[in-house]
Amino acid sequence: MPAPAATYERVVYKNPSKYHYMKVCLEFQDCGVGLNAAQFKQLLISAVKDLFGEVDAALPLDILTYEEKTLSAILRICSSGLVKLWSSLTLLGSYKGKKCAFRVSQVSPFLLALSGNSRELVLD
Amino acid sequence: MVRFKHRYLLCELVSDDPRCRLSLDDRVLSSLVRDTIARVHGTFGAAACSIGFAVRYLNAYTGIVLLRCRKEFYQLVWSALPFITYLENKGHRYPCFFNTLHVGGTIRTCQKFLIQYNRRQLLILLQNCTDEGEREAIQKSVTRSCLLEEEEESGEEAAEAME
Repeated sequence: MPAPAATYERVVYKNPSKYHYMKVCLEFQDCGVGLNAAQFKQLLISAVKDLFGEVDAALPLDILTYEEKTLSAILRICSSGLVKLWSSLTLLGSYKGKKCAFRVSQVSPFLLALSGNSRELVLD
Repeated sequence: MVRFKHRYLLCELVSDDPRCRLSLDDRVLSSLVRDTIARVHGTFGAAACSIGFAVRYLNAYTGIVLLRCRKEFYQLVWSALPFITYLENKGHRYPCFFNTLHVGGTIRTCQKFLIQYNRRQLLILLQNCTDEGEREAIQKSVTRSCLLEEEEESGEEAAEAME
């Protein structure tokens, strides 16, 4: 007996999230360098401006949280600018003559996903 | 077919100062456009646009410029043109701006467009001119260009009839 024709419904869920969230940490080669939030944002914008010019330096980039002690931050960028921001963070080499590097620990289109990180999970 | 495809941007240099157009030089213009792309689109834009970039045609009297760039990056060049606000030559700075008239895939299409555009501009000039001597000169050029247009059309028809 032939199987009855099944009806299929395909649901395509294109990511509607307009923003992407990145958790980044800035590491310096020598210790003892501090930046406040404004200087950190200035550094990010100048990195994008070097690589992609003034047009992309004006992308709406927000720093949602910033910790001065660990130099880590959560950034929010619109989804079309994620690749540009990430590549300019990768290519940033120095701040005021001191060598530094950005470490990107998490990227997600949902902010809630950044609250837990299985790499830093401590099991009792 | 494997070949590098280009886009040709036909632009017009508009300026208040009449000396601005006369000081147009292809090297000056090329460096100006490259600097503007580097400022607006950064290192990435400067590198991407400078591979196939060239100034193909330059007319100092009418201020018409034909720029060539690669097809993949022509939008970067096109979007950087409005950011050019002055032309610098020998220490003199002339405020000006670039008006993009046509984007074509080949020089021939840009040339066809330029011929039609110049004909229309002649008619506009005829309406706006005030001096009698100028008026006669422009009318003569308009009739000459109309005769040329008819010759071209009849030439094309004859070629089609022969095929």
